[in-house]
Amino acid sequence: MTLWDLKQGASATVAGFCGSLQGDYRTRLSELGFHPGEQIACVLSPNLGAPKLYRVNNTVYSLDDSVASLINLA
Amino acid sequence: MSKTILIGSPNSGKSLLFNKLTGLNQKVANFPGITVNISSGKSLADPGNLLMDFPGVYSLRTISAEEKVSVDAFYAGLNDPEISTVVCVVDVTRLEKGLIFALQVINACAERGKPVVIAANMMDVLNNHGMEMDIDGLADALKVPVVGISAKSGTGLAELQALLASHQDLPEPFVGGIIASDDSVVHRQAQQLADSFGPKGDLLINSQTRLDSFFLHSWFGGVSFVAIMYMLFQSIFTWAAPAMDAVESILQMTAAWIIPLLPAGPVSDFVADALFGGIGAFLVFVPQIFVLTLVVGMLEDSGYLARAAVICHKPLRFFGLTGKSFIPMLSGVACAIPGIYAARTVDSPRKRWLTYLAIPLMPCSARLPVYSLLIAAFIPAGYAFGGLVGWQGLAMVGIYLFGIVSGLLVTAVVSRTNAAMRTDLPFVLEMPPYRLPSWRPLVRNAWNRSKHFVTKAGKVIFSVTVVIWVLGYFPNQGAALGESWLGQMGQFIEPLFSPFGLDWKYGVAILSSFLAREVFVGTLGTLFGIEGGEENIISLAEHIQNSGLPIGAGFALLVFFSIALQCVSTLAVLRRETGSWRLPLQMFVSYSLLAYSAAWLTFIVVQAIAA
Repeated sequence: MTLWDLKQGASATVAGFCGSLQGDYRTRLSELGFHPGEQIACVLSPNLGAPKLYRVNNTVYSLDDSVASLINLA
Repeated sequence: MSKTILIGSPNSGKSLLFNKLTGLNQKVANFPGITVNISSGKSLADPGNLLMDFPGVYSLRTISAEEKVSVDAFYAGLNDPEISTVVCVVDVTRLEKGLIFALQVINACAERGKPVVIAANMMDVLNNHGMEMDIDGLADALKVPVVGISAKSGTGLAELQALLASHQDLPEPFVGGIIASDDSVVHRQAQQLADSFGPKGDLLINSQTRLDSFFLHSWFGGVSFVAIMYMLFQSIFTWAAPAMDAVESILQMTAAWIIPLLPAGPVSDFVADALFGGIGAFLVFVPQIFVLTLVVGMLEDSGYLARAAVICHKPLRFFGLTGKSFIPMLSGVACAIPGIYAARTVDSPRKRWLTYLAIPLMPCSARLPVYSLLIAAFIPAGYAFGGLVGWQGLAMVGIYLFGIVSGLLVTAVVSRTNAAMRTDLPFVLEMPPYRLPSWRPLVRNAWNRSKHFVTKAGKVIFSVTVVIWVLGYFPNQGAALGESWLGQMGQFIEPLFSPFGLDWKYGVAILSSFLAREVFVGTLGTLFGIEGGEENIISLAEHIQNSGLPIGAGFALLVFFSIALQCVSTLAVLRRETGSWRLPLQMFVSYSLLAYSAAWLTFIVVQAIAA
């Protein structure tokens, strides 16, 4: 399951990144808080495939499917 | 004089701290750009200390060329012997993320021998939630001073200022007992530090989640989006209009006062036409730039801009753009110049570049007089669909849509075929908390942006104005435009436009419209011998009809004007914003070629249908 599949209101732990995600981006996503072992909640999943809102620590980020589907959940 | 660097992540409250410490009202946009925008100001407490506010960056490990510009400027600052201290601002409500960056900064300062102080900002938010953190424990672990502050309420600032005056100990690279060979070491150290010394518990304001579920709701979100964008669009047209009229009147009054004092001849003609006419044509944009910068700044600081980007992201992504491209493009419908300035809010370099490509194709208001003239001349005034809609109104809507669709098609094609600047993080957007914007920095920012336009872009615009004036005035002292050098050039390029049935007059009008599109109407008026062609569009339209121009030529001109980038102001601003002539020249050449080919095709198709 990837982060993009996470339903609104649900939380899960990051397991790792998909192999196709470049190394630089992995580092940046980790620095922003999306690193393996971290608990992430999907706070809002708007209709029509718009980017979803995820909460990591005390920050809310919006990610679209091109990134969220490359983050694997445990 | 000693200098202090302020550095921190976006949204860490760094610029507010800078404003509090210096008493200035700077708004440092997170716009890495070509030149790094570093504000500096003397410390209020210690005027011998110059504070320098660097653009916010997420990490010293960069992922794009533009981030690298900002980070390189920071490293260059560390090598400057005048820099006495580095202040790293960390948002304690998001301590782990802030510490990842702070650890990078401590290590960089240790390597280059600069003292560093951590300003643990937003302590007021912790207090409001009844929480606390172990500042001293963190300072002991990091072996650098940590001061708990609130840039908003002002607590801790005196302590920070005292420390800036006295602190000279060099930091040591942080060794946190975690041994790993990969990139993850810094963030694991940060995680451990945040767990040991940071606040425990839930800090996110619930109102943020509630407002998000309203503003991003399928219905309420959509309605509020349309309402807010309507307000933004109105602001450019309606709110700026009185100021634009005032600028025009002031210039006219000044001209009426000065010109009679000059002896008749080239000097007086130059002052009247090139100086007042040319400068007037670009000074009227200033109120628009001011108002739009103010409104976009309000949306940005209130937190709404990020939500608007989320709403527009999916549809615009199909065309290779991002949600943040929407506001610059919408502004482009009024005028490309404020639109290009607004594109600074697009943080991805690639997406900003694609947004620049789309903006000049948006149907700007300078095209309106040209469209009005051509539609009046070529489209019958009758009604279609049983009297419901007029043909002329329909044609106007059609040509507006044509511009928007062309812009989106261009970015759709270019984004799929051109890999320039591919290295850029996909859509990850931090949602800042909602808050009430404060006026003073916004007004200051709008003022600076307007000044930037007048002083920087103004030079190029003025030079081109002078060149076109000289070409149109000599060698016959302005007696007949058709016999001037510009007229000769129009006749020289006549073969270029004769396939569309256009004669040299249109060639001259197209050449002079490079100054600004609406000049096309005035020039044609002059060539047809009508004074004040702008006010007498109907009479000019009759002249054009009577000249026997084929209908296909009218449509070809409409298409040409909706694509061609004939606007020296747009090119000058693009040059300023991108730092070189490369992009504006590329765009000018390719849009000219595209406009020409599309006009030719239109002529052939329309003539075939009309026959």
